[in-house]
Amino acid sequence: MAGFLDNFRWPECECIDWSERRNAVASVVAGVLFFTGWWIMIDAAVVYPKPEQLNHAFHTCGVFSTLAFFMINAVSNAQVRGDSYESGCLGRTGARVWLFIGFMLMFGSLIASMWILFGAYVTQNTDVYPGLAVFFQNALIFFSTLIYKFGRTEELWT
Amino acid sequence: MVLRIKLYPSKALVALSFSGAIGLTFLMLGCALEDYGVYWPLFVLIFHAISPIPHFIAKRATYDSDATSSACRELAYFFTTGIVVSAFGFPVILARVSVIKWGACGLVLAGNAVIFLTIQGFFLVFGRGDDFSWEQW
Repeated sequence: MAGFLDNFRWPECECIDWSERRNAVASVVAGVLFFTGWWIMIDAAVVYPKPEQLNHAFHTCGVFSTLAFFMINAVSNAQVRGDSYESGCLGRTGARVWLFIGFMLMFGSLIASMWILFGAYVTQNTDVYPGLAVFFQNALIFFSTLIYKFGRTEELWT
Repeated sequence: MVLRIKLYPSKALVALSFSGAIGLTFLMLGCALEDYGVYWPLFVLIFHAISPIPHFIAKRATYDSDATSSACRELAYFFTTGIVVSAFGFPVILARVSVIKWGACGLVLAGNAVIFLTIQGFFLVFGRGDDFSWEQW
């Protein structure tokens, strides 16, 4: 009984070479997630225009998430390992510090959005959609960052 | 199927312009029908116009490389996807605040889909050659 799916293989489709397209697929998926997150927030801001319903300060989380996305994806994995020939303007340690700060901003925005959802919407007796929008914006940007950073392989760049 | 498209690029051009016209018809129907009569959805044409730009910027920037991919090209895919998503999100937002009716939104979304498929078709048929020139047809 154990391992009865071990020999299962997906049906082969040889018309497209997926290994060469991995980076393109990852970029497209990351793009869809990132911009869907932003449009969810734009939708909430448009449907709930009053500051009592959606405090304009809550946009900060999305802005910092976006900044973190570009910070995290600005350094390649090769630079963090110290593998690339040109060390870039920061060097290996600088690249690591940059990446660290980027991830801290990203996680901070994600946690802040959860805090906003629960602190400002779920626990108050109010319409919860704007809080959900803030949370989903930051969660989608977070997953988009992960896919864009780790879903691509740098071997296709050589 | 791909080979036949390459052998008759002029036929592909006619087919692509037809589908482009259909897409624009859907968009105009979404604005101009008597029931609707609101012309705000025409702003998605801006998204249609700028959608090929990241691809061309990346193509210019990494001209000499024969690598399979590059960071610049992937960033171009990312932004192009973003522009496409925005072109679909914009009519939905308009319908959510009742600036346009949902029927108009549906027509505009259908027009978007057809136009983006047309643009993609243009790239598939005419974008392949190393010398991107108009002599291909």
